[in-house]
Amino acid sequence: MAADSQTPVELTMEELCQPPLEAKSELLDLQWKMGMAVSSDNCRSLKSPYVALMLKVADQSGQITNKSFEMTIPQFQHFFKQFKEMAAVIETV
Amino acid sequence: MAAEAPVDFAALQSLLKASSKDVVRQLCQESFSSSALGSKKLLDITCSSLSVTQEEADQLIRSLHRLTRLVAYRDLTAGEEILALFPENFHQNLKNLLTKIIMEHVPAWRKEAQANQISLPRLVDLDWRVDVKMASDSITRMAVPTCLLQMKIQEDASLCGDKPAISAVTMELSKETLDTMLDGLGRIRDQLSAVANK
Repeated sequence: MAADSQTPVELTMEELCQPPLEAKSELLDLQWKMGMAVSSDNCRSLKSPYVALMLKVADQSGQITNKSFEMTIPQFQHFFKQFKEMAAVIETV
Repeated sequence: MAAEAPVDFAALQSLLKASSKDVVRQLCQESFSSSALGSKKLLDITCSSLSVTQEEADQLIRSLHRLTRLVAYRDLTAGEEILALFPENFHQNLKNLLTKIIMEHVPAWRKEAQANQISLPRLVDLDWRVDVKMASDSITRMAVPTCLLQMKIQEDASLCGDKPAISAVTMELSKETLDTMLDGLGRIRDQLSAVANK
């Protein structure tokens, strides 16, 4: 398997803590759905849209796990924006 | 918990001992929270600020909790709707004060209720970094851009009480995978626009 060299060129665009390099997984699949919460035990009447994502990831041993989570629409828009930024940066290197 | 549990309005009379409207307001806010019913701290504060017994304080907090949750559940925003909840012979001024306080807080309470309702785990953080792989044990020179992504996912707060677990997953994405991901997310965005325009 290819391994990162000892001194990778970092084009860090965000000042964030470094993800641990040893624990990298591979993204295999992305599934999604959009839904609307209409009622809950806290609120009888709701009109609350959300996006639910499921990522299928394989860790370094090959074990596959599913990571599911949901986001409100503003959260999703922020999420999408960050991916567009990543794509823009990766184009420049 | 049952949002339509009966409210013991008689217990609310203890609020007449409050030294100011702010004390009442504060109590309403504290009682709404899901941790109110088990809170020894709230019980003690209520006892001392109103000079009531532990039992009276407990009944008061319980009633306020049920009343505020009921209003949030039914999304009652009009004064008349809230006033109508009180029994006929209820203390007029206290009824008006409570109604006013509740009306002010319902939107915030609904938001809090929705934030704490059952849900799939939530993404709490997303960090990323773009690297260029320059060499490896099999290839001495290359320039392969790659994206490192870390997502922090928090388990459902309503299932885990005060300390929901956060798990982190770190992924390495090639440019191709990133483009595919972007395609998928773009489709979600398109669907959102389509639904919004309906």
